[in-house]
Amino acid sequence: MNSSEIKTLLISSLNADADPAEVSRKLEDEGISYDFSKGFGDKVLNRIFSTGLTVTREVEFLKSMNFAFYRIALTGVAAIVVLLISIFLMEGSLSFNSFLGLSDSYDESIVCLLTGN
Amino acid sequence: MIKESYNAAEEGNLVKAALDGDKRAFGEIVSRYQKMVARTVKSMLGDSVFAEDIGQEVFIKLYYSLSEFRGEAKLSTYIQKIAVNLTLNEIKRRKRFFSMFSQKGNNEMYEFEVADHDTEERKEASEIVNKALLAMDPKFRVIVMMRMLQGYSTKETAEILDLPLGTVLSRLSRAQEQLKGILEKL
Repeated sequence: MNSSEIKTLLISSLNADADPAEVSRKLEDEGISYDFSKGFGDKVLNRIFSTGLTVTREVEFLKSMNFAFYRIALTGVAAIVVLLISIFLMEGSLSFNSFLGLSDSYDESIVCLLTGN
Repeated sequence: MIKESYNAAEEGNLVKAALDGDKRAFGEIVSRYQKMVARTVKSMLGDSVFAEDIGQEVFIKLYYSLSEFRGEAKLSTYIQKIAVNLTLNEIKRRKRFFSMFSQKGNNEMYEFEVADHDTEERKEASEIVNKALLAMDPKFRVIVMMRMLQGYSTKETAEILDLPLGTVLSRLSRAQEQLKGILEKL
């Protein structure tokens, strides 16, 4: 097909009564075809499945972090409870001074302790 | 007929296998439909490395949305919708970029290379088709591409583009007017 025939075909292909399948086949026969470069499929698969691997690793890491957090948090809570019980048993109360270990001291003795006099 | 058509049940099995993580099944889907996607992307964006990237994005998006594919429509229609949407989004993105950072006109937004052809006549034909398509308004270009290159009927075009049939028919007629004007200058 020469250029004017191609132009006529293009314009007539948009007529409402034209057969689009017939036109597209004619154009394909004239060498108007499209494709991606060689190895396109492999590139797509590599992008999908290597991303999948990264995502899996990230998920595994987050799961272990979550597990570690719970272990640490539970141990911490248990340690705090034991500490509170031991303070209560030793000091007889859970006041602020008891926490600081100052429940037996008078204010003057604290000042002396801090100033060295 | 240029449109890819495969057995629906067989395609359903391929989709199921791909959903189960079968790399070869998804590879088969890519190999079946890559030409169809290339026709959409390269005719709308020009033949460039960017078009190749968008082509890859189409299949990546397909992979992650396969679970939403219910098999009510053909797989080719589903892929075509993704390809058209991503391509139109890329055109919008380029338009925004060029309007902000470049003095070039819309025609310079697209890279276009004429592939090697066995005869000079075929090379010229390919050049005419691609230049004409890229010079068209994207909303007409997509309709011309669907009809002229993919071989879709007006009804199928309306279904893929989610447009009323009347809108597609009116755009088809306006696209024809625009194409006439462009081809006269080529």
